[in-house]
Amino acid sequence: MKAAVLAGLLAALLLDGCASQVLSIRTVPDQTPAADNAAAAANAAAFADAVAAESANSAAEAQDAPPLLTPADAPPMYTYDPWERLNRFTYRFNARFDEAIFLPVADTYRRAPRPIRAGIHNFFGNLAEIDSVINYTLQWRLKYGCRSLSRLAINSTIGIGGLFDVATKLKLPGTPTGFATTLAKWGMHPGPYLVIPLLGPSTLRDGVGFLGDYGAEYGINVAGLYRGDVSWGLGTVNAIDQRANINFRYYSGGSPFEYETIRFLYVRRRLIEDEGLHLKEPVKKTADEVPAGK
Amino acid sequence: MASLPAKVPLSEINAELPWRLAVPQVLWFDAKLRVWLSAQDKPAPLAIVISGTGSDGNTQTISTLRAALYGAGYHVLTMPSPTSPAFIVSASSTGVAGDLMRDGKDLYAAMQEIVAHLPRKVRITDIDLVGYSLGGAHAAIVKSIDATEHKLKIHRVVMINPPVSLFSSVGRLDRLFAAAIGPGDQAVELLYRRLYAQIANLYRASDRLELDENFLLSAGAATLKTDAEFSAAIALTFRLQLVDMFFIGDLYAKTGVVTDPAHPPKVSDSLEGIQRDLRAKPFADYFTRVFAPYYLKRRPDATSASLIASNRLDIISDVLRDDGDYYAQTTSNDLILNRSELTWLQETLGPRIVVYDHGGHLGEIGERQQVADMLDMLSGSWPRSAQ
Repeated sequence: MKAAVLAGLLAALLLDGCASQVLSIRTVPDQTPAADNAAAAANAAAFADAVAAESANSAAEAQDAPPLLTPADAPPMYTYDPWERLNRFTYRFNARFDEAIFLPVADTYRRAPRPIRAGIHNFFGNLAEIDSVINYTLQWRLKYGCRSLSRLAINSTIGIGGLFDVATKLKLPGTPTGFATTLAKWGMHPGPYLVIPLLGPSTLRDGVGFLGDYGAEYGINVAGLYRGDVSWGLGTVNAIDQRANINFRYYSGGSPFEYETIRFLYVRRRLIEDEGLHLKEPVKKTADEVPAGK
Repeated sequence: MASLPAKVPLSEINAELPWRLAVPQVLWFDAKLRVWLSAQDKPAPLAIVISGTGSDGNTQTISTLRAALYGAGYHVLTMPSPTSPAFIVSASSTGVAGDLMRDGKDLYAAMQEIVAHLPRKVRITDIDLVGYSLGGAHAAIVKSIDATEHKLKIHRVVMINPPVSLFSSVGRLDRLFAAAIGPGDQAVELLYRRLYAQIANLYRASDRLELDENFLLSAGAATLKTDAEFSAAIALTFRLQLVDMFFIGDLYAKTGVVTDPAHPPKVSDSLEGIQRDLRAKPFADYFTRVFAPYYLKRRPDATSASLIASNRLDIISDVLRDDGDYYAQTTSNDLILNRSELTWLQETLGPRIVVYDHGGHLGEIGERQQVADMLDMLSGSWPRSAQ
């Protein structure tokens, strides 16, 4: 299996080298403007309802509500990135790998019938629930832990081994979590920005979290899927499924400052999520000279 | 909103253009020109859509226009602006963007190369151009070039919210930046802090666990409620695009404003300091320190004033007035036009321009009336007979 995966990667590399004509054409998924418009409108309406409901709520329990953040609480614009030289090389490697191998493979994968792809996506999502149950417990967020556990139970049985996401239809939507969030909940700082080969933007803490998730899966080894030759094939399909479901293209706008932009957005997004985790705690003041993430 | 088709097929085309200049190391990813094609499976006219300042060929505005045009039966080819990083690196013959005629010629050459190499199953019966914002001016220039060279036989052009004087339009955007955000990079930091706090508060108030794209989009829209905040967002978007163009121009022209011509930056070098410096610089700085030095050296007869004058749509005022195949759609409150420029457009184009009373810069795109009018203009049935 290992050999098959490597051979596949090599073939993709060679094929890429053959494209020497003036135009190279890549078919991408159809656009669905009518449905997109409807979805955007529904999303905006749902968001407005949620904000309205929340403000009604918070008016009622203004006593308990955490103090609102002010602009002075925002982390500075600079990001702590002591490993920048290495990170930039890794970023370029990831972009090239994506272009030469990951994207073409994901494009091919997208040609498989939708029900099959949905089944594969649900299957991996269901396996990941185990990690979510563990981590919600470690985070002491038992309400969500129970939700993940119910999802795991329902989808593994009625959903035929996780191939169908029945739980979402039963109003139990998936909210995956991982060890990185557990570390954040315990108060661990994000640490330096880190670009992980093949995976992309991260921080030291999130990288450790990823290793923790992998360790847990390896340790539990559900149905013997995470060790031995089968784990290679499974890991590859999982990676392709994830890539095919991420709407990101390296350098799509062509900006010379994409590394800076992605670093900025990734770290700010995680900091805002951290704020959410520490809702009831007083907001920590960030000194201006300390870069975000440090 | 106009009704849109349920499904639009899409291909990404990466073109290697023979006249490309040497690619600087830090711009390795922009070596190929990326355009997008939605092809009909029967013979059809081709509509080529050109993006606005600094933008690639697959923006939200482009998607809207693509859907409308494809739904009306056109093959649709969408192209980046000649001022976008990828175009400058992959297709520009200068590396210094901003000259209307020079950029138009590069764009025309790239169009020919791409149209000539499209798969044979794409059967083209006619070619029309649509451009929005700066892309509108490019579309008109390209048609005027084609009128003498006849390589593509471009039929009709629709300019949507075009500028009249490029430099006075960007001057207005710079003043908007100063008014809505403030001078320098500290003002950008203040704006960022305000946005961060607002989005973080929205997130904390919601019961979401993950900060996903949908949330960010909605939160952004909820945050940008007032006109002043919208203006700040428009001004900042424009400034960030200028930062890209400024940096690349400085690299190619070797003008040494933020890069050392003897030691250009390498892949592993941080560009954050350069980006910060450039965020504080208005377009006037690009003009005086990169654009003018580059072009004055190559055009001995030119002066700064003549460079500015040659970047006006009125360099083709005769064809705009006399050729009935140029059309325009704009709004009475478009912030890149002043009153006399709007009047000039109306006087020059006569019945071939429609001015909507709302929408500002590009806000009307996708509305039922705008789409219907655009399609009428492209098919030659404008102005509609009195109804």
